[in-house]
Amino acid sequence: MQRFAKYKIYLFVLPAVIVLGAFFIYPILLTAKLSFTDFTGVGVANDVGWKNYERIFTRSRYVDALKVTLFFTLIVVVIQTASGLFFASLLNRLHSIRNLCRAALFLPAMMSFVIVGYVWQFIYSPFNGGLNALLAGIGLESLQNNWIGDPDTALFALAFAHIWMFVGYTTAIFLAGYAGIPQELDEAARIEGTSAWQRFRHIEIPLLAPSFTINIVLSTIGTLKTFELPFIMTRGGPDGATRTLSLHIIDSLFGKYKFGFASALSIVMLILVIVVAYAQNRILRSREEQL
Amino acid sequence: MSVHMSASRRAGTWLLSTGVLILVGIMLLPVAFMVAMSFKTGAEMAADPLGLPGGIFFGNYENALSKMTYVRSVLNSIGVTLSVAVLVSFIGALAAYPLARRTSRLSRALVLIVALGLSTPNFVTITPIYVIFRQIGLLDTYLGLILAFTALNLPLAVFFYTSFIRSIPAELDEAARLDNCSDFQIFWYIIRPLLGPATATLSLFVMLMVWNDFTYPLLLLTDESKFTVMISVYRFIGNHTISPEDLFPAAVLGSLPLLLLFLFFQRRIVAGVTAGAVK
Amino acid sequence: MHTPKSRFLRSLISRLITGAIVLMGLSTASLATVTLEVTAWKGNDTEPAALPELIERFEAANPDISIDFSYISRSDTDIVLPPRLQGGEAPDVMMADMPLVKIWSDAGLLAPLDKDGWYDRLTDQISQAITLGDNVYVMPLEVIGMGNFVNMGLLNAVGIDAPPTTIDALKDACQKLSAAGTQPLLLAGGFPAPLFAIANGLEADPADAGALGSGATTFEGNDAFMGALNHVKDLQQAGCFDGETIAGVDPWSTALSEFKAGNFAMMPQGAWNIQNFSSAPELDFVFAPLPSSKDTGVALDLFGFGWVISAQTEQAEAAKTFVDFFTDDANLKELLKAESAYSPFSDGTHGMASLAAPYDAARENGGTVMFPFGVLTWPKALEGEIFDSMTGFLLDLDKDANDVLSRWDEIIEDQ
Repeated sequence: MQRFAKYKIYLFVLPAVIVLGAFFIYPILLTAKLSFTDFTGVGVANDVGWKNYERIFTRSRYVDALKVTLFFTLIVVVIQTASGLFFASLLNRLHSIRNLCRAALFLPAMMSFVIVGYVWQFIYSPFNGGLNALLAGIGLESLQNNWIGDPDTALFALAFAHIWMFVGYTTAIFLAGYAGIPQELDEAARIEGTSAWQRFRHIEIPLLAPSFTINIVLSTIGTLKTFELPFIMTRGGPDGATRTLSLHIIDSLFGKYKFGFASALSIVMLILVIVVAYAQNRILRSREEQL
Repeated sequence: MSVHMSASRRAGTWLLSTGVLILVGIMLLPVAFMVAMSFKTGAEMAADPLGLPGGIFFGNYENALSKMTYVRSVLNSIGVTLSVAVLVSFIGALAAYPLARRTSRLSRALVLIVALGLSTPNFVTITPIYVIFRQIGLLDTYLGLILAFTALNLPLAVFFYTSFIRSIPAELDEAARLDNCSDFQIFWYIIRPLLGPATATLSLFVMLMVWNDFTYPLLLLTDESKFTVMISVYRFIGNHTISPEDLFPAAVLGSLPLLLLFLFFQRRIVAGVTAGAVK
Repeated sequence: MHTPKSRFLRSLISRLITGAIVLMGLSTASLATVTLEVTAWKGNDTEPAALPELIERFEAANPDISIDFSYISRSDTDIVLPPRLQGGEAPDVMMADMPLVKIWSDAGLLAPLDKDGWYDRLTDQISQAITLGDNVYVMPLEVIGMGNFVNMGLLNAVGIDAPPTTIDALKDACQKLSAAGTQPLLLAGGFPAPLFAIANGLEADPADAGALGSGATTFEGNDAFMGALNHVKDLQQAGCFDGETIAGVDPWSTALSEFKAGNFAMMPQGAWNIQNFSSAPELDFVFAPLPSSKDTGVALDLFGFGWVISAQTEQAEAAKTFVDFFTDDANLKELLKAESAYSPFSDGTHGMASLAAPYDAARENGGTVMFPFGVLTWPKALEGEIFDSMTGFLLDLDKDANDVLSRWDEIIEDQ
């Protein structure tokens, strides 16, 4: 009876587990099975053994995509988290505009990917696009560039558009984290004469540790998987400079109809995401506990 | 608190506020651009994309509205989005409670399953969900769509709530247990009210995802009267050749109800945050 | 006897009889009405292809068939239809192109079509392309041109009266245009440049495509294709474009709006853009063949799409009636006109406007090359690689042409 009572609480998890099992575990197992076949999305799936995986690890283009994906994710997560912290720390102090600004920062995320892609393509256009026109207007013509047409800047341009879209999320999470910091702490520190920066570094940042964890883990996972913006804005161009792993999956699925191969790519991506997320989670959680 | 602020501090705050507002304004320029473009005629768009529209031209909107079954699809979107938000918050918080409080091997295994759900690439689930739904007869139903979205957002919800519940001191649980409260009562009366900020934030994320997704409605629905607003938008815009006169008004029409929903919820969120802060 | 009771009885009986007749009428009508589910990536506001009108016309001519039509974009078709086909819930009639036809018919999901009455009227190229073994699974609807959009307004301003159809004429035009400060050629890497390269590479001997596609001969070292890529280098020299700027321009949005705004004089693209460009009142343009070494230029024809019937359909008769409706020239020409496309039938009416006269001329004079991906001569995987490698080539035109072509061979080997 005692033992049962201890496990009774896990009944709470039951509905979620059933749903997760049906909608994630089962599909993942199915995908894993299909990754060893030459399935085209319809018809019969013939077993091809490890051929798909062999292809992934021996062709340079997939290894390149891996590098692109990791680099892209790094840029986005670092800048997006920093920006979110920046806005949240300011907005936390500015009560009058806080709710307005938080909603405003969500506006980019409310726009669908197609429109975001289109507008940013326009902004980045080498023919009098918004950004180049702005630079010319303030006299910085030398900085003009072919932002998404130049392999050196394309990934950064894409990352920036992505960050623009999702900074609202990180800000909101940090703001929620701020809401959990008791005001008395802040007051006490202020009375003791600490500067705003010191308060920020030694009180707020440590107490925001859980928010950091959530933000970093979520944005990492999301960015590793993302395909919409690269697909719409550059289609992986110019010549593969922005081709992430997810774009390869799309390419294989739609157009080439290589469902089996795409499944193998998906499994590789899944493993990548889990490994990165798990490592991050452990590191961040242990820091959380230290603080 | 403002009572204690000195004049110089108040001026500093005012300056900072203005600065932040300007910054946010600059960030929203692309959005303003989108709205401005939607009121331009096709000729104006090609000739002078960056300028303000000559006059407010409603023709693009008229065209878009006549071709999209707007009102019906907006209602569908709102209904589905709100239902999913409520369902996901409840099931997610419920599931997160034991996972946050217990560190046994079982709980860690379940956390891993949740992480798996979070990490799955999007395409993996499409065909299996279709097959499952077909077998249990949930194709082309509102319930099926709501269930699918709930499932897809559940990992995020559980992950979120687990973090937040962990930061709620366990002493509160203990105190309630001493009063002979059952696990569910502890969850319902003690934990749940404190989840205000987390639920608020999570709901925003879920609503954004559900509102903007059109793959699953397209896959699972065949009855046009059930279509959500984004399907309407994408069918209208088409996929291959983007015509700006169609794109911009359609995008505004697609996002506007969501913005209104947000603003409406902001008030309730503020209430939730302040209520939750009062322990 | 007209007592109230008998009168009541009589009126009751007459009402019952009328009611029964009405009910019978209704039920026979509903029994006879068949609903056909049709999906297509045309038929919405942006690309109507006259489908709404044609469907109305069909329903009027066939009152016992009701059409339930859904627009599903080309990429959504890939997402949404395979699960339905696998699951046995496919629409009755679907729009498909050759890659889809191959995959779906291989999996046994398409019904072989009855060739009577229309198959023999098809042009040779088309009937060859759509016949898989003994069966035909698709009823082709359109052949659409891919050529050079030329802004005659800009060309006239520098003294050129006709769109260039040879490489030399193109170079000449470019020199004159850039001297006048106009950007001559929007040869973006993602589609225009590949069109140019493929057209020039295959023009000498279109039948080469088969050998190249199967790997019997290689692209690397192929004289025609090396020539084509070297032409691209020459064009940059002649001032047609700046490779680095033009390489990464998105051919489906930025490029189109730039041409439409009159910022570029020429752009290789597909004829489906004609309707879009025609809506710009000040744009004086024609649709011309792709410039090549031959005098005629190359008319690069794309076999666009057709109707297929699901093997699982329960309305085979109605589906056949629907498909046959489009083999009738009187109906098909509406679609072709809206699409600015050519009929797949050798006796069919084309839907091209007068501004496509130069392209028409090229076709008549033997300059037609079938786009290899539309007729399955080259594997789909190669398409993306050509787009990518042409972009890379434009970014660095000092590269050896063979470096690009060897990438194409790699893909062929992979198949």
